[in-house]
Amino acid sequence: MNKLIDSLRSKIYFDQYLFISISLLSLMGLIFLYSASDGNISTVVKQSFFVIFGLILMFIASQPDPDFYKNNSLVFLIISIILILLTLLIGKEVNGAKRWLDLGVFTLQTSEIIKIALPVYLAAYLYDKALPISLLNTFLTLFLILVIVNFVRIQPDLGTSLVILIAGLYILFLAGLSWRFIGVSLSIFILSLPFIWNNFLEPFQRQRVLTLLDPTADPFGSGWNITQSKIAIGSGGIQGKGYQMGSQAHLDFLPETETDFIFSVIAEEFGFIGVCILLAVFFFILIRCLYLALNARDRFCRLTIGGLSLLFISTIFINLAMVVGIIPVVGMPLPFISKGGSSLLSFYIAFGIIISMASHKKLMQK
Amino acid sequence: MIDLNERISEKKNFFNRLIFVYIFFGFLFLYLIYKTFSLQVSSYTDYEIASLKNKTREILLQPRRGIIYDRNGEIIANNVPSYNLIIKPSEVKDLDSVLSNIRQIIDISDSQIDNIKDSYKTKKKLNREVVLKKDLNNEEIAKFEVRKYKYPNLFIAERYSRESKYPNLFSHSVGYVGNTSEDNIEEILSLQNLRPKETIFKYSNGYMSGKTGLEYVYDKELRGLYGKKIFEVDASGKLLKERETIKAIDGKDIHTSLDLKAQQVAHQQLNNRRGAVVAIDLRNGSIVSYISSPSFSVNDITNGLSQDDFDKLINDKNKPFFDRAGQGRYSPASTIKPAIGLFGLEKNLIDWEFTIQDIGFFELPEDGRIYRGWKKGGHGRINLQDAIIESSNTFFFSLAYQTEVEELIEYLSNFGFGQNVCSDCFSPDKGLLPSPAWKMNTHNFGWFKGDTVNLGVGQGYLSATPLQLAYYSAFLANKGSIDSFSFVQDNKIKTKKIFISNNIKDNDWRKIHHSMIGVIESPRGTAGRLKNLKEYSIAAKSGTVELVSTETKEDYKIIRETEGKRDHAIIVAFGPMPEPKYAVSVVIENGESGGSVAGPVAIAVLNSLIKNE
Repeated sequence: MNKLIDSLRSKIYFDQYLFISISLLSLMGLIFLYSASDGNISTVVKQSFFVIFGLILMFIASQPDPDFYKNNSLVFLIISIILILLTLLIGKEVNGAKRWLDLGVFTLQTSEIIKIALPVYLAAYLYDKALPISLLNTFLTLFLILVIVNFVRIQPDLGTSLVILIAGLYILFLAGLSWRFIGVSLSIFILSLPFIWNNFLEPFQRQRVLTLLDPTADPFGSGWNITQSKIAIGSGGIQGKGYQMGSQAHLDFLPETETDFIFSVIAEEFGFIGVCILLAVFFFILIRCLYLALNARDRFCRLTIGGLSLLFISTIFINLAMVVGIIPVVGMPLPFISKGGSSLLSFYIAFGIIISMASHKKLMQK
Repeated sequence: MIDLNERISEKKNFFNRLIFVYIFFGFLFLYLIYKTFSLQVSSYTDYEIASLKNKTREILLQPRRGIIYDRNGEIIANNVPSYNLIIKPSEVKDLDSVLSNIRQIIDISDSQIDNIKDSYKTKKKLNREVVLKKDLNNEEIAKFEVRKYKYPNLFIAERYSRESKYPNLFSHSVGYVGNTSEDNIEEILSLQNLRPKETIFKYSNGYMSGKTGLEYVYDKELRGLYGKKIFEVDASGKLLKERETIKAIDGKDIHTSLDLKAQQVAHQQLNNRRGAVVAIDLRNGSIVSYISSPSFSVNDITNGLSQDDFDKLINDKNKPFFDRAGQGRYSPASTIKPAIGLFGLEKNLIDWEFTIQDIGFFELPEDGRIYRGWKKGGHGRINLQDAIIESSNTFFFSLAYQTEVEELIEYLSNFGFGQNVCSDCFSPDKGLLPSPAWKMNTHNFGWFKGDTVNLGVGQGYLSATPLQLAYYSAFLANKGSIDSFSFVQDNKIKTKKIFISNNIKDNDWRKIHHSMIGVIESPRGTAGRLKNLKEYSIAAKSGTVELVSTETKEDYKIIRETEGKRDHAIIVAFGPMPEPKYAVSVVIENGESGGSVAGPVAIAVLNSLIKNE
């Protein structure tokens, strides 16, 4: 019997810590979503299917050897870029944004795929390059990142394009981008901020930034979301108003309760205690990722785990910072909690890849 | 291939950088937790209040307006229930079919249907009621009630309208209510620390406030205090459920001193002639009758009348809206004579034995100008008593001639001339008590002796309202002590104004009263025709206000062809003598004879008041 388990274990690649914590998070998400959707059972059932499907995808994605990802990363990247371009051409338009490809049974948000494919490709491209990374490679990869980011930005999807940019830059940074280069480009970036403000942001995006600086200036217009979100969070207090008792959420004061602003619902109904518990689960996952990255078998795995986990952190932070009013409203779901299809599945796949990188050991380390 | 050293340094470099980023995020998350903590713990109260404010909506509850009573407890301004047909949009699926069904039994105008359709959508979204028709009549109510089961989403609800059972009797005293301007609503509500907001109305006219008369003067008392209903609402403002009700406090009822019967008598007696009647209870200075004629219906003004009817009222040449009792200015004419006589006694210019030879006119020594009496050839040798009874002009011309005009004017002001005599009347006029300074300012002419002579018979610049004449009458009746007038019983603790006089003794007052009784009783009295009308002993002084000065009776016959040029009839009276309880003044415009035209009205009002004590 034990032999059987042992032989199974040697064939199955698995990380119980991540698997349990992500399942727990998904379950919490379903519970929160039930309240956030005003007790809409069909929303919760649909989300449950995504969660189960996601967990299966995660399991499947963790089985191949890291070399599989390394060798095929270019193929994945090209497929994702084609999908992105297709989206721009024949994508489904919702509220003036073209972000989705209609696949009949499922609408696919293609930027969610490239969000994973790009860091993996970059890790595969950079893992065997000598340190420090040459200027040529720096510019080549930066160029690739910026082109892809721009494809997503013009959909327009500022939130996801930002995350893709950050994810790409993490890989470069972790791979050993020279500090001097970082310093120089940061200064250029800061100096060119006014130019970006005027030429790269849509008027509504600029309005969001201005709203952040002074949400009270127009509380019923663009400041409404931030103001109502803050009221929801603040009025939750330490213990919260109780499950399904959040008046801000249930009387429609809070916008987008199922997606971007689900954290506000949690904070309103479960209070500061609930917020701390939720964050604790997130932190546990992040710490586990850090451990796995530091113990990965080779440079490619290290870079991939590091990059994907930082992608995860950034997404969480952007969402939370947005709903408490630290940064502008950019449209960013809370991973594993917010309602969603593609955005939800992409993180299961990302964690499947992380588990794959962490659980495949080589006898002879390179 | 990377060699071992390079690999170790790469690994170290990676560790450092990854941990660097993690620490960076550690700080970001610390800030995030701090921010959440400050929202949820430090500023919790603020946000809790904000959240509560978000989800609750206060709706004001209109209080019931106080009822106005006459002095015997008869209701003279009341809240009469009217019935509105109301629809609850949130329970309606197809508005058009509901409307076409209900129109088969109840007539609703097309314009009203348009109004309903306009407001329907928003009201439905917000879960509010829509009024289909206001003020249903009995037939409509009956028609609806028997078919009620067919209209589950319609109902009839009670709303009040302000109405009087005697719509024409109190139009100028009690006045009327009307819709209120936005500014006024704001002011009214701010007195109760409220701001204008959605309101559940008790009255089908919505917000209303007193516009004239006591409805205006006592608006604050009558109005009451607004209550509140607190609802839970969602973000769109839709009412979800009621959480709390703070009841409205109804307005205070007002018990006036007005006497319904006296009002009816006065109104009937004036019979739509232009004029006014004011009667006073001498025991407390309260106004028991206050009529201006012609009148109008306060119910029509408050609850609506057609534009045509309204234009008719506004353009009526008899000016029914004009409050002749409180704002009409008339010369006191001969009614002033007792006051001039009292001044002569006070200044020792005359006594009761003093006589003059009345030859029918007085000639001003300065320029020989002639001031005529009403009787050709004069009254012969005449003393003060007879001069009052027979209304000798010559006697008072010559008496006035001897006075210092400033002293006379100051004296007359004691009688209420040129003064506000009422504490709660709606914008009373002060009349005009002329003075040399006033004449200089307005006419740019000096005061002539002739002006003083004219003052002696109440003609010329001097003018008074019927209200002031009633005060004057009451002043004579009460021998100089008098309360400021008021419409309300036991309104405030009043201080009687005591008339300070050096030379006027009780005996003088009695003789004045006696003379005024003689006006009716004496065979030579100017109001002798009233002898058979009166049921009690009454003192009076009549007057005839010349609008056009004429030399002879023939001249007057010509001008009286034009009704508007005929003399005004005027009388002041009080009784029963010798212990008078009521004083009255009557003015009838272009009525010609004070004694025989205004007199019967005064007698009828006094009879009614005294009889119904």
